[in-house]
Amino acid sequence: MVNPRAERRAWVLGTTGPALLFLAVVAYLPIAYAVALSFFKKTAFNPAMQWVGANNYRFILEEPELWNAFGRSVLFTVGSVALQLALGLVAALLLNRAFRGRTVVRSLFVLPYLLPSIVVALVFQWLLSPEYGVVNQVLMQTGLVARPINFFGGLGTAMWSVIGMAGWQYGSFATLLILARLQAINPKLYEAAAVSGAGPLRAFWDVTLPALRTTLLVIALLRGIWMFNKFDSIWLVTHGGPLKHTETLPLYAYRLAFEEFDFGLAAAVCSVMFVVLLVGAVLYFKLFDPTREIEVGR
Amino acid sequence: MRQIQAYATLALLFVVLVIVAFPFYWMVLSSVTPREALFQPPYKFVRLDFSLGNYRELLFATEFVRYFVNSLIAAVGAIVLNVVAATLAGYGLTRFAFAGKKPFAFGTLFSYMFPPMLMAIPLYILFSALRMRNTYTGLVLAHMAISLPLNIWLMWQYFQIVPQSLEEAAWVSGASRLRALRQVCLPSARPGILSVAIFSFALSWNDFTFAFILQTDRTMFTLPVGLASFVEQTGVHWGMVMAAAVLVSVPTFLLVFFLQRYLLSGLRATG
Repeated sequence: MVNPRAERRAWVLGTTGPALLFLAVVAYLPIAYAVALSFFKKTAFNPAMQWVGANNYRFILEEPELWNAFGRSVLFTVGSVALQLALGLVAALLLNRAFRGRTVVRSLFVLPYLLPSIVVALVFQWLLSPEYGVVNQVLMQTGLVARPINFFGGLGTAMWSVIGMAGWQYGSFATLLILARLQAINPKLYEAAAVSGAGPLRAFWDVTLPALRTTLLVIALLRGIWMFNKFDSIWLVTHGGPLKHTETLPLYAYRLAFEEFDFGLAAAVCSVMFVVLLVGAVLYFKLFDPTREIEVGR
Repeated sequence: MRQIQAYATLALLFVVLVIVAFPFYWMVLSSVTPREALFQPPYKFVRLDFSLGNYRELLFATEFVRYFVNSLIAAVGAIVLNVVAATLAGYGLTRFAFAGKKPFAFGTLFSYMFPPMLMAIPLYILFSALRMRNTYTGLVLAHMAISLPLNIWLMWQYFQIVPQSLEEAAWVSGASRLRALRQVCLPSARPGILSVAIFSFALSWNDFTFAFILQTDRTMFTLPVGLASFVEQTGVHWGMVMAAAVLVSVPTFLLVFFLQRYLLSGLRATG
């Protein structure tokens, strides 16, 4: 006869154990290791680790490079999230209307978010190429510019081009969530607004926007956290250039680790990123408590 | 006045549609444009001189197939491990009462926010020491780090709506817990499991950062890393690169047009 309590415990461990173990080993252990590593001197050529206390932090905090990268991360985050929200809002409002072929168009609008970053990066490099790019060709033919624009390679244009690309790709995340929320608005509210003489603009201001407030905040916060730490989209089109003009924090950490081979310094930068992430996560959990979606009290 | 508004809306819809759709159109069109025509502006926006030369070159003159196989192996590994771990966890978390669920929920959601770069640098060092760089095992484990949190969350939510009364009925008729899980619970959880499989696939297939840092050996490149190396060379053959982009996007297209239902359930779960 099996002891029912022991059997129950075996079930709990057997079912939640693997997931817990994987999370611990592949997600939490690396982060903990990075934080620990930030207090050591460790280079790619020397396997030995040497305790240096806060020296790595002192070094990067005194360098202007960290602060420059931090500023660029903020600019990239704010710019691309604002663009995603704007595009998402416009697209969702349009898609919320009834028209023929809406399902197909809606599917099309979902696509960019799910595409591999490499595909988006390649397509935009090709579209915006200074030599053969179709965008430059149209700009020249219409006489808007006299010489082709080096979108990803120009000092003044690189960051804005990356922001534009990220807005295109991740705007569809905003579109989806906003559209879902729009469809949940009670149509009676619009009828009431119309009866009281409100025009479409007034109705948007009084009915639509208040209903969307929480959704817009969630999107801004979550996407902000993700964009702040974005590596692939930026790296693939600029490698952080030209002259580090698009080198955000994750690209800076990458350069320290794999081009300057100083893992300790890279880990210190990662820890700075982690602190920023922590602040964002605490805000998110405090404001929205997503754990409400599951029952934990059973 | 009303008519002007309708036209303005239509015009706006058209503009947004062009912004969203044109990159796709141009990608596909460039992929079937013969090499000579691609580098002779002005381009035509509509053309009929299609050729599959770019695809032929991609498949037979590059390592594309090798990268494809690597990507596929990593994705299948990630699917299997994710489905097993997330399904079991979802079942356990909803069927048993035990302390620590709230921290577990926070821990799961928090790890979902971890950016790849934060994990990739330490994993590079750890995997170097364990000789796990340039292996499928290492890559699959890294891909678990980005997909498992979301998948646990999905299954946790999903098992809440799979009624327990069905299992209880099976127990009453003498089935063991394991048998009830296998024959009653899992079949009803199938849509949730399918979502998990889809997400695991998509996140693994789309990953660039982990594969780029961990798979430095050319024979172990996945598609995103391999494709990125195509444009590092001088004199980029854009027609062929666009053909590669099209082929890499095919799974995404299939997912969006045939399995959107499952995708939406997951997107909601992300907040």
